[in-house]
Amino acid sequence: MKDPIRSGTYSEESTIGCSNVVQTFVAMMSDAWREFLDAKILYLLVSLIAILFFTVLSGRIDPLPSGRAYLDFSATAMSANLDELDLGKLTLTDIAKEHNGSVYWIVSDRAQGEDHPNSSWQVTLNRTYLPLFAQPENAADIQKRFGNIADVKLWNVREVRETTSGFITRIGFQSWQMTVDPGRDLRLLWPNRFTLFQDSLELTSSKGAPLGLEVFILQKLLTTGLGGSILLLISVAVTAAFVPNMVRKGTLELLLVRPIPRWQILLFKYCGSLLLVAALLGLLIFASWLVTGILADIWTPGVLFALPTLLLFFALLLSVSVLTGVITRSVTSAMLVTVAYWALLFIVGQFHNQVIDSRMREANIGRVKPMAIADSLRGSKSKREEPLRPGRKPFYKTTVGRVSEAIYTVLPHTEDLDNSVDRQLMRDYAVAGPFRALVESTDFSWKRGLGFTLGHTAVFLLSACLIFTRRDP
Amino acid sequence: MVVSIRSLEKNYGKTRALGGVNLEVERGTIFGLLGQNGAGKTTLVKILLGLVSSSAGSASLLDRPVGTFSARREVGYLPEDHRLPEYHTAVSLLHFYGTLQGIPRRERQSRIVYLLEMLGLKGREKLRIRGYSKGMKQRLGLAQALLHRPRVLFLDEPTDGVDPVGRKQIRELLLEEQKRGVTVFVNSHLLGEVEQLCDRVAILRKGLVVLSGSVAELTGLKATWLIGFDQPIPSHFSWNGGTLVPTETPGLLRLQCTEHVSSTGVVQENDLALDEFLAAAGVCGLRLRHLTRERTSLEDLYVALAHDAGDSL
Ligand SMILES: Nc1ncnc2c1ncn2[C@@H]1O[C@H](COP(=O)(O)OP(=O)(O)O)[C@@H](O)[C@H]1O
Ligand SMILES: [Mg+2]
Repeated sequence: MKDPIRSGTYSEESTIGCSNVVQTFVAMMSDAWREFLDAKILYLLVSLIAILFFTVLSGRIDPLPSGRAYLDFSATAMSANLDELDLGKLTLTDIAKEHNGSVYWIVSDRAQGEDHPNSSWQVTLNRTYLPLFAQPENAADIQKRFGNIADVKLWNVREVRETTSGFITRIGFQSWQMTVDPGRDLRLLWPNRFTLFQDSLELTSSKGAPLGLEVFILQKLLTTGLGGSILLLISVAVTAAFVPNMVRKGTLELLLVRPIPRWQILLFKYCGSLLLVAALLGLLIFASWLVTGILADIWTPGVLFALPTLLLFFALLLSVSVLTGVITRSVTSAMLVTVAYWALLFIVGQFHNQVIDSRMREANIGRVKPMAIADSLRGSKSKREEPLRPGRKPFYKTTVGRVSEAIYTVLPHTEDLDNSVDRQLMRDYAVAGPFRALVESTDFSWKRGLGFTLGHTAVFLLSACLIFTRRDP
Repeated sequence: MVVSIRSLEKNYGKTRALGGVNLEVERGTIFGLLGQNGAGKTTLVKILLGLVSSSAGSASLLDRPVGTFSARREVGYLPEDHRLPEYHTAVSLLHFYGTLQGIPRRERQSRIVYLLEMLGLKGREKLRIRGYSKGMKQRLGLAQALLHRPRVLFLDEPTDGVDPVGRKQIRELLLEEQKRGVTVFVNSHLLGEVEQLCDRVAILRKGLVVLSGSVAELTGLKATWLIGFDQPIPSHFSWNGGTLVPTETPGLLRLQCTEHVSSTGVVQENDLALDEFLAAAGVCGLRLRHLTRERTSLEDLYVALAHDAGDSL
C-alpha cells in the first residue's frame, strides 16, 4: 500500500505539523470527554439524578382553598398604620394593635371560578369609624390600599364602587363593592399541598405550605442541595483519575514529546474537565428550573444563578484534585484529599453560619424574631429573641467558634457563594424568616466569596503547573 | 549529524545514570544502543527528547539544542513500557496525538488509515485499547511515533512483546523508513534483533559507552574459522596458537584465534594464526576440504564484554 500523502523520500521539510493553541485545546477537550464517558460511574450519576427528577416530576402541587382568609388579612391590615412595617417580623395580630381608628371587614365574597390563587373575586368590604377622628374614605384610596400589606402585594383592585352615601356615611359606616385580581405575591404565599407519587405521599401538613417556600426548597434540593452534591461528588470521583492517569509513567512521555508547553497540557486538561462538568451542571440546573416550572408554573430565573456558583465551587475542588494528582500520581489520594477538603469547607462553613447566627441573636435580644411572611399573614404568634441562659456564652465567643472562624477566614469563602444563591431564591419566592434574615445580614458577600474562591483556585493550579513543568517524568 | 552528544552526564540524586557519554549518529542510519537493564539507555533517549534535563555535558538533536519545539516536531518516540490511554480507540488516539502534533485534519485522516493498514491493525481500529494485546499496543505505539512522518525515530525496546511475524513486519517498516532518509535510534537488549536491523551500534554499560562501531566491524572482530578435513583429527594432534573447538562431525572443527576484543576496544584480527594452523595440520597428513569464516554474533561479543568486566548477566 502506498502512503497516500507523499511517497518517495523525505525532504528536509517533509515532517508535517504546526500546532495551534485552539486545536490543542479542542483535542484535550475531546480527550477529557472520552475519558469521562469511559467511567462507568457516570451511569450511576445519570441514573441517580434521573431518579431524583422523576420523583419530583411524579409530584403535584395543589392550592388549598384560602381566598377568604387572604381577603380577610387584607381587610384587617387596612385597620392599621402600615408605614415601615416589617412583615418578616410582625404578625397580623401585631399589626392589629397599631389601630388607626377604623375597622374594615369583608362581608361577602364570591370567586369568579374556583377558590385558587388565579381567580378574581367579587367582594363587599365594610368600614366603620368614629366620625370625629377619621374622615370618610373615597374609592380611589380603597383601590390603592386594599391588598397591599407592607411591601407584599396580595390583591389588585380592578374596580370599586361605594354603595353607601349621605347619612350613613356621616355616622361612620361605609361599604364598597369591589372586583379584585390576584396580586404579585398572592400565588407565592398561597398555601399548597405538595404530594409525591400520584397523591400517595403527602409532604405538607394539612394547612399546606406557601407555594414560594415549596419551590424554594425544591429548587435548592435539586441544585445546590442534594442534586448538585451528587453531581459534584461523582464528578470529583471521575475527574480525580484524570491527572494521575495522565502523569503515569509510560503515558506522560507520549504527551510531553509533543511540541506543546507542558503547562498547556495540564491546564487544558483542567479546562476540559471543567467544561464537561459545566455542561452537566447546566443540564441539572436547567432541568431543575424546568421541573419546578412544570410543577408549580413559576418561571423566575433566579435558580440559574446556582450554575456559576456550583461551577466555581467545582473549579476549586478540581484544582485541589489536580494538585494532589500531580504530586502523588495516585487516583485514590486525589479523590480522598479532594473529598476531605470539601468536607472541611462544609463543616467550617456550617460553623461560620452558627457564628453569624449567634452574633445576630445576641444583637437582637428582646426584639421580635424574624418569621415567614405567610406565617405572619396567618396570624401566628410572634416571638421575641430570648437572652441566653446565665453562664452560657454565645457560640461565636466559644473556643470552637473562634477556631472555626479563624479557619474560615483563610479558606475560600464558598459558604458566601451558597448563601448568595439562597438569598436570590428567597427574594424571588417571597420567602422570609430566620434563615432569610441570616443570609440577608451583611456578613455574606458575593464578591468576597468569588474573590477568595478564584484566588485559592489560581494558587492551587499554579502550584500544580509549577511542579508539573519542573519535574522529570 | 542527527544526534551529537558530548560528555553527557546525568545524576538522579545519588544514582549516576550517565557518566560522560560521547556519541554521534549520522543521518539515515539505524542506530542501536545496547546495554543491560539500568545501563542508562532510556535516560539517554529522554535527554535527547528534552524530557529529562542533563546534569552536565551537551547534546544536540538535528543540530538544535534538545527540547526545542522545532526539534520535537521532527522526532517520533516510542517509550519503553508505554501505556496508551485505554479509553481511546486506535483511531481516536492517533487523531488525538496527531492534533497535538499539529497535523491538519485531512492529512491526519489518510495517514492514520495508511499506518493502521501497514501495522496490521486494520479491523481493530474501532476497538478500545483496553482490549488490545501487548503486541497490538506495541504496533499502535509505533504508529503514533510514525504519525507525523518524523525525520528521527527513537524507539525504546520496540519489539517487546511482539510475535515473530510482527517483528519481521516492524523490521521491514523501519528499513522502509530508513530508505526515505529517516534516522532510527533503537534501544534494545535483544541482540539478535539489533544485529539484523542496525547499521551501527554502541554498547552502554553503567552509563558509559564501552564500544561503538558498525555492526560489520564489530562482529568481524573476533575471527572464527570453520575448518573441515578429510579425516578425523588424530588424538595426538595439538596446537597452541589458538582455541580449537571440535564439532560433532568428525573432521570438522572451529578455530578461534586467541586475540579477542577487550573492553577497551578494537583488536586487529590476525590471519597468521590460520596459516600456521593449516601448515601444522598439513604436516599431520590432514587435507583441507572446507574453510569458512564465521562472524561472531553480537551476543557473543556482548557476553565476552560483560565477562571481561566481571559482570554477571
Ligand atoms: N526517574 C528516575 N529516578 C531515579 N533514578 C532513575 C530514574 N530513571 C532511571 N534511574 C536510574 O538510572 C539508571 C539508568 O536507568 P535507565 O536509563 O532506565 O536504564 P536502561 O534504560 O538502560 O535500562 C538506573 O540505575 C535507574 O535506576
Ligand atoms: Mg530502558
